Amino acid sequence: MKTEDLITRLATEAPATAPISGGRVVMAGLLAGLPALALLLALLGVRPDFMAAMAVPVTTLKMVLPAAIALLAGGAALRLMRPEGRVGLAGPALAGLALVALALVVWRLVVLSAPQIPVALMGRTAPQCLFLLLGLATGPFLAVFWGLRAGASTRPALTGGLAGLAAGGAAATLYALHCPEDDPLFFVFWYGGAILLSGLAGMVAGARGLRW
Amino acid sequence: MSVTDETLAGLLRAANAGDGRAYARFLTAVTPALRSVVRARGRGLGAEAQEDVVQEVLLAIHLKRHTWQSDSPVKPWLYAVARYKVVDAFRRLGSGRVHLPIEDFAEALEGAPAPEPLAARDAARLLGQIDARSAEIVRAVHLEGEETAQVGARLAMTEGAVRVALHRAMKRLAALGRGNEG
Repeated sequence: MKTEDLITRLATEAPATAPISGGRVVMAGLLAGLPALALLLALLGVRPDFMAAMAVPVTTLKMVLPAAIALLAGGAALRLMRPEGRVGLAGPALAGLALVALALVVWRLVVLSAPQIPVALMGRTAPQCLFLLLGLATGPFLAVFWGLRAGASTRPALTGGLAGLAAGGAAATLYALHCPEDDPLFFVFWYGGAILLSGLAGMVAGARGLRW
Repeated sequence: MSVTDETLAGLLRAANAGDGRAYARFLTAVTPALRSVVRARGRGLGAEAQEDVVQEVLLAIHLKRHTWQSDSPVKPWLYAVARYKVVDAFRRLGSGRVHLPIEDFAEALEGAPAPEPLAARDAARLLGQIDARSAEIVRAVHLEGEETAQVGARLAMTEGAVRVALHRAMKRLAALGRGNEG
């Protein structure tokens, strides 16, 4: 086909389009997270000592860190929906959060005695934590990923990975409402592990599913 | 070819609101720039394959036109879409690793002269590498625009023989050209 003919054809088959909206993608992600969240709260409930636990500054990090990851990674993924979008300062900021998490681990390893370390690391709910967290993240991730497909990311793997991190971060923040484990060694390892797994899954999915 | 961003933005805004004529003008306005970038970067491809890549980019612009934010400049959006699709197409067509700086598009849209597919200097160098008679035929027909019959009369060949020789010479030149691009 001649290029002029292609242009003519495209121009005659071009209805008005609705611009992509990051807000809608976020909304879809939040709605998709509701059923799992409702289930978590109904079956397991908020920990009874939630307010007391959050009075300890270090413990608040178990909500603050994942929430910050969710906001930064989610914001960057939404920017990358546009072809010319950039990760921007979210990259270094996420790296900064990783350093904070690492510092927490080092601090715990220094203050805890050798026999205390495995106890702190495994807690009483380690496998449950990982599975519930990934379960909470799945719905929102799928919804957000679907929304991102309407965009045109020129870095599909990165965009998918950021969406995965965001879903994992949001899931961890909510799971902390229930989670009774407060040792940073526990939450950095298990929350962080789940968030990274979610990010990795997003990266693999993005490399395939966000190409256009 | 130099089009201001405001002009393009106006056209694309109208196009996304459903104005087909503005859309045709928008696509027509950006096509020469796309073509010149594709030609400059994909010289080993041949004109037809190059035009296919141009059309792929146009189609991508069409399918993703809703990802342009109507209050932001068009050109960065356009470069990003074009670059993504051109790199993708060249990779698929196997023309090797592609280095495609974004400035290419900027220059092309700003009205820098489009590079000739086969610059005169390259042509002379390539013609020096094939036998003299074939080179003479290529020069006469493709560079000076002589008729094959005329060339045949001058070189004491039938017109058919000239065409065959020309065809073989072009194939060899194309191979040499690709080798040099390597």
